[in-house]
Amino acid sequence: MQLHALCRGGLLSPRALAAAFTATFLLTGCGGDDAAGKKDAADFARLDAFPSTYSVEQSRPVLISGATLLTGTGEMLENTDILLKDGKIARIDDGLKAPRDALVVNGEGKWVTPGIIDVHSHLGNYPAPAIESSQDGNEMTSPNTAEVWTEHSVWTQDPQFPLALAGGVTTLQILPGSANLFGGRSVTLKNVPGRRVQDMKFPGAPYGLKMACGENPKRVYGGKGQAPSTRMGNVAGYRKAWIAASKYKEKWEKYAEVGGEQPERDLELETLAGVLNGDILVHNHCYRGEEMAVMMDIAKEFDFQISTFHHAVEAYKVADLLAENNVCAAMWADWWGFKHEAFDMTEANIAIVDQAKACAMIHSDSAVGIQHLNEETAKAMAAGQRAGFDIGPEHAVTWMTLNPAKALGIDDRTGSLEKGKMADVVVWSGNPFSVYAQAEKVFIDGELMYDRDDPARQPRSDFELGIIEAEGERL
Amino acid sequence: MTRFLIQLAFLGLLAGPVHAETVLIKGGKVHTLSGIGTLAQGDVLVRDGKVQAVAPAINERADRVIDARGKVVTPGVIAPQSELGLTEISAASSTNDHAVSGESIGSGFDPRPAYNPKSTLIPYNRAHGVTRAVVFPSISTWGEDAGKLHRVFAGQGFAITLNGGFDSVVAEGLGQKAYLGEMGSQLAGGSRANAYARIENALGEAREYLNNREAIRRGNWRELSHSLADLEALQPVIQGQQPLIVTANRASDILQALELAREYELRLIIQGAAEGWMVADELAAAQVPVVIDAVNNLPISFESLGARSDNAARLQSAGVTVAIGGPGYGSTHLVHLARQSAGNAVVHGMPYEEALKAITANVARIFGLEGGVLQPGVIADIVVWNGDPLEVTSYPEQVLIGGQPQSLVNRSTRLRDRYLKPEQGHEMGYRF
Repeated sequence: MQLHALCRGGLLSPRALAAAFTATFLLTGCGGDDAAGKKDAADFARLDAFPSTYSVEQSRPVLISGATLLTGTGEMLENTDILLKDGKIARIDDGLKAPRDALVVNGEGKWVTPGIIDVHSHLGNYPAPAIESSQDGNEMTSPNTAEVWTEHSVWTQDPQFPLALAGGVTTLQILPGSANLFGGRSVTLKNVPGRRVQDMKFPGAPYGLKMACGENPKRVYGGKGQAPSTRMGNVAGYRKAWIAASKYKEKWEKYAEVGGEQPERDLELETLAGVLNGDILVHNHCYRGEEMAVMMDIAKEFDFQISTFHHAVEAYKVADLLAENNVCAAMWADWWGFKHEAFDMTEANIAIVDQAKACAMIHSDSAVGIQHLNEETAKAMAAGQRAGFDIGPEHAVTWMTLNPAKALGIDDRTGSLEKGKMADVVVWSGNPFSVYAQAEKVFIDGELMYDRDDPARQPRSDFELGIIEAEGERL
Repeated sequence: MTRFLIQLAFLGLLAGPVHAETVLIKGGKVHTLSGIGTLAQGDVLVRDGKVQAVAPAINERADRVIDARGKVVTPGVIAPQSELGLTEISAASSTNDHAVSGESIGSGFDPRPAYNPKSTLIPYNRAHGVTRAVVFPSISTWGEDAGKLHRVFAGQGFAITLNGGFDSVVAEGLGQKAYLGEMGSQLAGGSRANAYARIENALGEAREYLNNREAIRRGNWRELSHSLADLEALQPVIQGQQPLIVTANRASDILQALELAREYELRLIIQGAAEGWMVADELAAAQVPVVIDAVNNLPISFESLGARSDNAARLQSAGVTVAIGGPGYGSTHLVHLARQSAGNAVVHGMPYEEALKAITANVARIFGLEGGVLQPGVIADIVVWNGDPLEVTSYPEQVLIGGQPQSLVNRSTRLRDRYLKPEQGHEMGYRF
């Protein structure tokens, strides 16, 4: 690859750019005149390799009038109007006038939230039906498979996507499984039908790297008589890989700075180097408090940032450390007991982490759970209230919207009801923190993608046609 | 007040059951789920561990009065499907006693001797309103057991009450469990038809044994493919004294199970029934109840392509007796989430009280257990909820089992409190 092709500043996330500009090589190597073929930092993230072709456009403006809005920024606005236009949230106010041709939704008695974001899903890579040939989520052949990209496993016709949409989920991160220390790259999708996975890819969302602590890697590989077979073996595996990645990054940086022979590309190290330069976010399956603490130390040793601990059943034990290190925790409301590392569950977990001023969120890891994240958040909120915290819906909603957006590095674009953000919006039949609440209308980038009252606005995947009855659809 | 009661409960537990005590639960909204109906505001009097009276107002002195004004009173939740007391940590094999593998034992397997009433799952689920549970074994097809041939009968079930006592097994010989459908196929070597044939073969030999017991026991008979223990265990099933629980999800598998029940005059219970709504009329006509996972609407296998959220509602409206179990993803640790599933069934059209019955009265009826309703003479398993029991933000404030107030403390609350309120000299471990 020629040097000029490496200069992809325009495609880097703001966060990555900020990180990049602190590096002297970039200041000397890439002066902004990329057309002239000047040297640039290596592009480890490779956002252009399989670029997003997402293209949902809003067909007409939408005015939702007189609803109760949970903005995702800590506010609850009653009897308020919200206008969606050109795919963005245009205005939030009282007495808004519907533009010509607008779809007007009577929001009386309804509640409106930002679209739900699930930071941990396996839709598409563990699709339904779950048969031998569809289990594409876990490349269990080596403890380090940082080279795999899970988007290459996603079956876009997984009928679980539309079910999640009916639960109000507009954005979701698909992760590789947790058998490996480094499981590979994640992909963040908008929950829209697509022929290609690229049609679903959230434009400009940074990649994630799935890492896993604890029982899974040591069980899978220890069981095969190879490393790691212990937790200390896990940690040695991470550190060895980061040492290799640091060297790889230095090699490319040196090449960007002084030229010479172009280093050989290495898919595995490229992804890890992308973490080290801040372009790729670490999503770390990790249950135990002491293991989370170790992982944060490793991040310090190799100078990278962990975005989020996933499953984090013991996050409440290290809530202050999470806050101090600016690491999020993605948790369940009440799952426990399936493994020893999931034994110390408390239902107040999310609330305790939140109250310690760490970034707390709900997550599903389940194709059933993803359809009920509002209920799961409600349980976590109630548990927080029982623990004595003053947590209302206006705050708890951030656990399923803005905080997962932060974890995914897309909170500047979605996750809250704010002017200029993507119009990813759910209209609920009532207070969403109730078992009886249903998502009635789900907008993605302003377009009505799901309407409970209109079967024509309920996407069905190819799989569902002619199933059970040849002339019918599955549901 | 609550703490006082909890302390009393502890004393009660230490001192053994105190049956003479009377408890009056006053002023709550009472769902009796019996002929008495629902009282917008009513009292429940408990004496000697039983419900003595349910009425709008009971003016009687009681040893203990629970103020339930603004609260909701229901029978305790009964889990229709669990491995409570037989498992602690799913992935820790030494803590699991609910599943056996291989061909050495089938219907003769009785997991009851393995039951541990001190399991942490019991106080946890009790604190969420579960007072009784049906416990059945399963068959291990994981790890080394994968791909092996197995019996299609898992064994016998029993029932427990969740007071954590060593005497908390309340019913044994609750039924037999066998597998049809995809699981049956896997166990029987690759075809669901062979699972069916194996069940028929077992039932046929059990009949043969019934009619020729002496000769068979003397060894003066042809060689049978089942052990005497297995054949003995099937006797109550072929004589209609115990139900046969059969797992089946595909509509055609359910119909095949109904055929089996007709042929052998079985009391059948279908577990799974993801496509039950497609054959709801047939199930109703055969008076065969179902135990379902009401929240699983995934076409997760080719035998459950028709899974849908209104399965419970459709089955119930066709006249099928429906019991709702905990969601599959939660396993036995979270059997209490049956009430969240029941709430979701209401959203998808199940009448509210029918959904309540699906986690209480119907379970008791299907398995012949005490409880499940509130009416005079019935065991006093009662929950006082802070609000609508099917609502996810609600929780039990009081749980009575056999009239005894129960502790609602469990590991989840202990861990919460330890990290919320670190005590002097015993600070949180992470303050290094």
